[in-house]
Amino acid sequence: MPIETPLPHLSEWFASAALNWLAVLVILTLAAIVLGFLVGVLRHGPARGFGAGLRTLRDAIGDLTLMSPRRVGALTWLAVKESIRRRVVVVFALFILILLFAGWFLDAGSNEPAKLYLSFVLSATTYLILLLVLFLSAFSLPADIRSRTIQTIVTKPVRASEVVLGRILGFAVVGTVLLALMSVISYVFVIRGLSHTHEVVLDSLKPTGAAVEGKARPMTGYTDTVKGHRHKLYVDSSGKGYVDSEYGHWHEIETARSGDKTTYVLGGPEDMLEARVPMYGKIRFRSREGKDVDKGINVGDEWFYRSFIQGGSPAAAIWSFQGVREKDFPEGLPIETNIEIFRTYKGDIEKGVIGSLSVRNPKTGLLVEVKVFEAKEFTPFQLVIPRKITGFSSADVISSRRETPEGRVEFSPPQNMLDRRLAERKEFDLFGDLVADGQVEIWLRCLEPSQYFGAGQPDLWLRAADATFTANFFKGYVGIWLQMLLVIGFGVMFSTFLSGPVAMLATVGAMIGGFFSDFLTRLSMGQVLGGGPFEAIIRLVRQDNLMTELDPGLRTTAAKMADVVAQGGLWVIAHILPPFTEFNYADWVAYGFDISWDPWLAVPTLRAFAFLIPVFVAGYFFLKTREVAQ
Amino acid sequence: MQSSEVVIETRSLSKVYRDFWGRQKVRALKALDLEIQRGEIFGLLGPNGSGKTTTIKLILGLLFPTSGQALVFGRDATDVKKNERIGYLPEESYLYRFLNAEETLDFYGRLFNMAAPLRRQRTADLIDMVGLGWAKRRQLREYSKGMTRRIGLAQALINDPELIVLDEPTTGLDPIGCREMKDLILRLRDEGKTILMCSHLLADVQDVCDRIGILYQGELQELGRVDSLLKVRDVTEVRAAGLSEACQAEIREVIERHGGQVQTIGNPTTTLEELFLHIIRESEAHPGRRVRGGAGDAH
Repeated sequence: MPIETPLPHLSEWFASAALNWLAVLVILTLAAIVLGFLVGVLRHGPARGFGAGLRTLRDAIGDLTLMSPRRVGALTWLAVKESIRRRVVVVFALFILILLFAGWFLDAGSNEPAKLYLSFVLSATTYLILLLVLFLSAFSLPADIRSRTIQTIVTKPVRASEVVLGRILGFAVVGTVLLALMSVISYVFVIRGLSHTHEVVLDSLKPTGAAVEGKARPMTGYTDTVKGHRHKLYVDSSGKGYVDSEYGHWHEIETARSGDKTTYVLGGPEDMLEARVPMYGKIRFRSREGKDVDKGINVGDEWFYRSFIQGGSPAAAIWSFQGVREKDFPEGLPIETNIEIFRTYKGDIEKGVIGSLSVRNPKTGLLVEVKVFEAKEFTPFQLVIPRKITGFSSADVISSRRETPEGRVEFSPPQNMLDRRLAERKEFDLFGDLVADGQVEIWLRCLEPSQYFGAGQPDLWLRAADATFTANFFKGYVGIWLQMLLVIGFGVMFSTFLSGPVAMLATVGAMIGGFFSDFLTRLSMGQVLGGGPFEAIIRLVRQDNLMTELDPGLRTTAAKMADVVAQGGLWVIAHILPPFTEFNYADWVAYGFDISWDPWLAVPTLRAFAFLIPVFVAGYFFLKTREVAQ
Repeated sequence: MQSSEVVIETRSLSKVYRDFWGRQKVRALKALDLEIQRGEIFGLLGPNGSGKTTTIKLILGLLFPTSGQALVFGRDATDVKKNERIGYLPEESYLYRFLNAEETLDFYGRLFNMAAPLRRQRTADLIDMVGLGWAKRRQLREYSKGMTRRIGLAQALINDPELIVLDEPTTGLDPIGCREMKDLILRLRDEGKTILMCSHLLADVQDVCDRIGILYQGELQELGRVDSLLKVRDVTEVRAAGLSEACQAEIREVIERHGGQVQTIGNPTTTLEELFLHIIRESEAHPGRRVRGGAGDAH
């Protein structure tokens, strides 16, 4: 589960984000005011149009600040009643029906059943809820205007802001209740769907190893096959049984003896549903020449998320961790990685590529290679570096070397400070020798020449703790809830001035645009290869590639100038569309990562509301300036 | 009733309906000047498409004027604050059909920011007044047209309004319902409320309205007190009683001579229907603003 754009913490993010938000808001407000005055002047002439504009602005201040909770409550209640009348229950029934039949198409033999089940329930809920609120929000107000029931509302002392807010809140209440029910049912479905146990196939138990006087011989065997898998079983000489981890889980075994008969009872699946709390470090690379660089080698992958290190060379991917405290890791450092392999020759595809993980003290330069392992494509690798490191493969003391922009070479620690005797010991203490003031580096190397490892910053982490899966599961639904609120907001806003079907299409358009808002932002900042939209058209027509410079000339200048204008527009569009992908926590839950409150829950939640507020205000203005009886 | 306070005032109020491209479609109202005083029942008359409903919608702020201004209680018609003192019964009762009568009235009460005990009291009183106590828990979708009109009227009165705007109030009511509605309108007037209504049913207007305005093709053709407008000035009407059969043939010359008792002598009145048709025919023959007849606007 790659996290391509890590989020800053709430405290670091808030001030600049709030300023950015205010800037966008001020620009949009000014643009809307200018447009409003222009339309007013065009329609009613200068004096009257200007007066109407001023009056609208004056009214808006009162309408947006003096809303009556009782009226908003009444309109919310009406929206809830209307939704019930529109048979939202059918969606709920459909959800239950999908779950009932899910057993048929959810492959029990999948080797990651938890991921499959979790992805399924989260996506099923997302699609159903978003579709439901899309229809509710986009069609409600136009239906009221068409049936003229709105006329009995707006002839009461009801502000347009109350009509819009009441609608948004009403559908939010309906959606929230449905989502809460769906989440509980989904939880039960997942737990029940994954729950299983095995029986030991007694005939498969065979003695193994040498017999020891006075002790029973260890045995190995198999459990029976349930849900498409079986576990290998070990019984040690004391009679205690263990099973291998299969399909992402294992089982406890209770052994009971009566006379000379032994029975083994397996418990439910363990570690199948988890919420790991990762601690991320900062990545840098070491080049083939042994210099510190920000990026590794580009192997031609279009996806820039990972960069690569060459095997059989000093190249390494280095993660620097801070705040690694002994009290947080009493058992040692649990490392988890998820690296990509780029093969320049196929070799034995069944076999992985050999790599190594080392720990380095950034202060002393002591580097201990703790594990040589076989890395396989897309297979997470886990390792616990123990407190006492004895079985290491090599140790060294090295400085990291970095060139300053002025061309000077800096060593850290300075080479004359290196104490090479540090590496001569047979045993290292993790926190005593390798962690300095909470700082430690983990080095990943590829040991096979001509093969490459690819890594990005979130590809190696320390498993700092485990949060409860249940809480994480419901946090995943908070993401759906935020998406739901945004769809309702946009749906109601568009429905204040568009007909139902058009409002629905506009909302879908906003959602799709929102999914690509990251790309739009990069496009507006000129960070996309091939230039802006106009330059891209020239390249398309001339069949130019993205990298070559366009021929200088009037056409190129004109296209680039037009792109500057277009990029301004794209910047605005990218900023007014909510980044929907940011609210999708399905992968977090499915891959078993804890959705941390700060920043992964708090920042998107604040962002969602930062979008909802202007959407609500826009909806108010559209309704306020609309003749509802026409 | 004779208070001089102006409740509704329109100044050169005009409305042009335009299409999506801003092209003029219909000129629905042309420079309407109108004043409606506190405590009177004012009727707007006119054939279909004459601008009655447009006028009402402009006064309620449901439409925005193309030019001119509509003021209600001295406030601009688009100001929502004025609505606190207005009750509106639309042409058809545009109510939420999935609510029952009690829920409907409670909902509209909440829109007036009324506290719960007051809402309960007003709801009970109004349901009682419009005689729907037996059906108050039934959804409005099950209501007949007459019942819907009644609950529509009840919602218009939930806030005890000072100005009541009634669009075709008797449509869909049976004769008894019509009579009750008209009695209610008169009773509301007697309580000091101002009523603006428009109707096709001229007899209803004649029965209850103090003043009327007749609109044709967006222009005000006639405005005045109903009793003055309907007075036929060049005809004398004599009503007599107790005359023998023989006398009746020569009655015009011999009433005094035969000693009959003259009960009333005066100008007869025509029906509003005749007046209405006369004005419309005249407007069709001579398009444009009509020089209003001698009835005047006086009370």
